[in-house]
Amino acid sequence: MARVAAAGRPAFWSVRTDPAVVATAGVGLILAFLALYPTAMLFYGSVSNAPLGVPGHLTLAHYRTAYGDPNTYRMIGNSFVFASGAAAISLVVAGLLAWITVRTDAPGRALFELVAVVPNVLPPLLTATAWVLLLSPRIGLINVVAQRVGLPPFNVYSMAGMIFVEGLILAPLAYLIISAALSSMDPSLEEAARVAGSPPLQAARRVTSPMIRPALLAAGLLNFVRALESFDTPSIIAIPARIEVFTTKVAREALAAYPPNHNLAATYAMSLLGIAMVLVYVYRRLTASRERFVTISGRGYRPRAIALGSWGYAVSAGAVALLALIVLLPFCVLLLTSLLPFYSVPTWETVRQLTLKHYAFLLTSDRVARALRISVMLAVSGATLGMLLASAVAYLTVRTRVAGRGALELLTFIPWAFPGTALAIGLLWGYVRLPVPIYATAWILLIAYVTRFLPYGLRAMTSTMVQVHSDLEEASRVCGAGLVHTFRRILFPLLRPGFLAGWAILATIFMREFSTSLFLYTPRSEPVGPLLYHLWIDGLHGRMAALGVTVSLVSVVLVAVARRAGRTRVGE
Amino acid sequence: MRDSFSRALLAGIAGFMLFVLAVPAVQGQADLAGAAKREGSVVVYGSIESDVFDVIRKIFEGQYGIRVDYFRASSNGTMDRVLTESRAGKPLYDVVLTNRSPMLILKKAGVFGSYVSPSYERYPAATRDGEGVLSPSYRQVVVSVLYNTRLVKAEEAPKSLADLLDPKWKGKIVMPDPNVHTTTAVWLANLQSVMGAQYRPFVEGLAGQVTLAESFLPVVQKVIVGEFPLGITYVKYVYIFGSEGAPLDYVRLSPLLAEAHHVAISAKAPHPNAARLFVDVFTSRLGLLALAKAGEFVLVPGVYPPIKDADKLRIVLMDDLSEQDLKQFRDQIGTLFLKR
Repeated sequence: MARVAAAGRPAFWSVRTDPAVVATAGVGLILAFLALYPTAMLFYGSVSNAPLGVPGHLTLAHYRTAYGDPNTYRMIGNSFVFASGAAAISLVVAGLLAWITVRTDAPGRALFELVAVVPNVLPPLLTATAWVLLLSPRIGLINVVAQRVGLPPFNVYSMAGMIFVEGLILAPLAYLIISAALSSMDPSLEEAARVAGSPPLQAARRVTSPMIRPALLAAGLLNFVRALESFDTPSIIAIPARIEVFTTKVAREALAAYPPNHNLAATYAMSLLGIAMVLVYVYRRLTASRERFVTISGRGYRPRAIALGSWGYAVSAGAVALLALIVLLPFCVLLLTSLLPFYSVPTWETVRQLTLKHYAFLLTSDRVARALRISVMLAVSGATLGMLLASAVAYLTVRTRVAGRGALELLTFIPWAFPGTALAIGLLWGYVRLPVPIYATAWILLIAYVTRFLPYGLRAMTSTMVQVHSDLEEASRVCGAGLVHTFRRILFPLLRPGFLAGWAILATIFMREFSTSLFLYTPRSEPVGPLLYHLWIDGLHGRMAALGVTVSLVSVVLVAVARRAGRTRVGE
Repeated sequence: MRDSFSRALLAGIAGFMLFVLAVPAVQGQADLAGAAKREGSVVVYGSIESDVFDVIRKIFEGQYGIRVDYFRASSNGTMDRVLTESRAGKPLYDVVLTNRSPMLILKKAGVFGSYVSPSYERYPAATRDGEGVLSPSYRQVVVSVLYNTRLVKAEEAPKSLADLLDPKWKGKIVMPDPNVHTTTAVWLANLQSVMGAQYRPFVEGLAGQVTLAESFLPVVQKVIVGEFPLGITYVKYVYIFGSEGAPLDYVRLSPLLAEAHHVAISAKAPHPNAARLFVDVFTSRLGLLALAKAGEFVLVPGVYPPIKDADKLRIVLMDDLSEQDLKQFRDQIGTLFLKR
C-alpha cells in the first residue's frame, strides 16, 4: 500500500492520508526522543568543559585527550580482536545449537531449547567469575582435571581466554535470534536438498545457512558491538592478564579518575557510536535485497523437522557438549558456590560443608523480595512495551517503502552503541532535567531498558519479518480484510515466534540488567541486577550465587511461557 | 569536716551545673528525634559493606523507628553519585559516609552542610574538622597482606613488605590495580614515607610479582578460594569472612597503613533532622562499639575488632592524595603495573 502511495500520489497527499507515513512519523518521534535525547546529552558532555549541571564552555579538549593518545588506537585494535573472536565463537556455538533444537528431531531438543536461554539470565559478571573458577591456572576445575590426565592447563587470563569466555556469554543471545529465524523458515528447500541426495549436514551448510543469513549477520553484529563495549569480562580477565582493551582504558581514565570524569567517558563513547553506525550501514547493505531471504510465502508453509535417524543421539550428544560450555559448567559452579559457606576446589570435605544458609537468606530478606518484585515487573512490562515498539519499527522498515524508514532503524541502534554506563550517564543527564519526576523512580529504569535493548527485540522481529512474503498480506487485503484484521489473522500468527523470541531476550536481560541500572536506581527501587552486583562487591558470593540460581529459574519460567505461546500452530 | 562539706557543696554545684547544661541537650535531642520521626526516613550513601552497615541500621531503626535506605557503592562510586545528583540539583541523599580522600573532594565541592554532633566531643581534638563539616575519623580501614591458611603456614608467611619480593611468591600475590582502584594508589603512594630509599625498587619489584584485580574484595575472594595464596587487602576481612569459615590470616606489618573514614550530612538533605539523628547514633560510643564488633577498627581507646593481635598493631593514618597527586602517581608508578 505504502509503495503505491509513495509512487503514485503527490507527496502532500500521501503525507496527509497514508497510515504508514503517519505511523512512521509517530514511531519516529518516540524513537527520536528515546535515542537522541540521551545521545545529545552525551555529545554535549563530550564538548563541554564542565560536568553536568555546572555552566561551562564548549571545548575540544576531551577529544584531544582521548584521541591524541596513540594508545587509544592500540586499545581499539585489541578490542576489535576480542570482539571479532567472541562474536565468531558465539555464532558457531549458537548456530549449531539452534539448528539442532529447531530444525532436527534430535532427542531431548525441547529441553535443550529451554536450557539454552539460562545463561542469558545470568549477569555476565557471574558467568565470567564462574569461568575463572573453571579455568584459572591454579584452581580451575577443568585445569585440575586436565593436569591429572597429563594435559597442560589453559590460562583463562589471556586474550584467548577472554575471547572464549565472552563468546560463550554472548552465545545465548545469538541463539535466540537464530532459532527464531530458523523456526520461521520454509523447510521445503531443505527437503528439496535432501531429495536431491544431500546429507543433512550438507543441506544445513548449503541451504539453511544462506537462508538465515540476515539472522546470522544480525546476531554477529549485535554481539560484536556488545563485546566491544563489554566491561564485565575484561574487568575479570583483562585486568589480571594485563591486557588493555578500550573499555578498561575508559574505566581507568574516566570512571576511576578522581573525581570521575563523565565528560571524557562521553567522548570515548562517541567513537563506539561511530563504529556501531558503520556496522549498521554495512549490515543494511548486506541485507538490502531482502527478497532473497523470503522463505515463508503463500506456497505452502509447513515447518517440519529433519529426521536424523541413527544420527539423532550423536547430534544430541553434540548439543549437550555445547550446552555444557554455555550453561551447565558455569551453572554447576554457581550452584556449588550457592551451597557452600565459601567456594573451594571440591573435595570429599566439601560434602560435609554443604549448607542452605544462602537460600535461607533469600527467603528472609525483604530486600531480595522487593528486588525480585521490581525486576519481574520491569521484565514483563519492559519486554512487552519494547516488543510492541520493535514490531512497529520492523513492520515499517521491512514492509513499507515510506521515506525515513531507514532512519527509524538507525535511531534504535544509536543507544545500543554505547556501553551501559555511558548510556546511563546520558539518560541521567537527560532525565534529571525533565520537569516530569522520572529520575529516582522505576520508570527511568523502564525507559533505560527499552532504549538500550530495543535493537535485540528489533533484530528478532526483523529477521522473522523479512522471511514472510508480502503476498500473504496482499491476498488478505484483496479478500477485503482491513489493516488490523490482516495483521491479527495473517501477520501476527506468522511473526509470533519472532515476537516471543524477542520478548524472551528482553525479559531475561531486564531481569538482571545492572550496568545501566547501577547509575539510575535508588535504594527504594533496587532491582535484581544492582543487588547481585552489590552482593558481589560485598564479597557475599554465596548469596549472590543463590540469587543468581533463583533468578535463572524465574527467567526460565518466563521463557517457557513465551515459548509455549510462540509455538507456531500449523494451519491456523 | 569542713573539707568534706566543701567537697559536698562543690559536688552539688557541679551536679546542678551539669543538670542545667544537660537539660537543653536532652531536650534538644528529644526535639531532634521528634522532628526526625516526622520526616519518616533517612537516605544514606556510602561505601561501608552492607552487612556491617546493617548493624547500625538495626540500632537506629530499633531506637527511633525511622527507616534507613542505604545506597552502597565503592568509594569512587559513592563520590560519583553524590556529585552527579548535587550538580543536577536533585540530591536524594541525607548522609554520606566513605573514605577520607573522596570525602575531602565532596567537601570542597560544597555538597555538605555543617553539623557538629554532640557525640564528636568524645573524639580527640586532632581528629575533628575545624569547619564542622566532616565527622572525626570514626573508623580506619587497615591494609595489609592476607594469606590463605590452607596454603601458607604462619611461619612461612611473609613478615614484611620486602619479603613479598622473594622469588617464591612470584605470580602468587594478588592486589588491586592501582590504576583503577584509588585506595590502593593512596596506599602505594604512602609507602614512600615508610620505606624511604627502598621505595622505588620495592614498587618496581612488586609490579613484577603480582597479579591484579579490580578492588580489595575480588582480591580477598581470590585468596579465600585459593587462587592466590597472598593478597593485599583490608585486614578486617580476616574477621568478616573468617567468622564464616574462610581460611584467612594477615601479616602483622609494622606500621600498618590505614585510611580514615568520615561521615557528613548533605547541604540539601531531604530529611535534615533524621540525617543529624543518624549521624549522632552512628558516631556515638554505642555505634562505634557495634562497628568494632562487626570487625571495624574504630576510634575508641581500648576498643578493638575481634581480630587476633588487633590491640598490638601500630596503625598509621595515610595522607590523602589530591586529584593532581593521584594523576602524577598513576603516570609515574601506576604505569609500572600496566607492563606485561
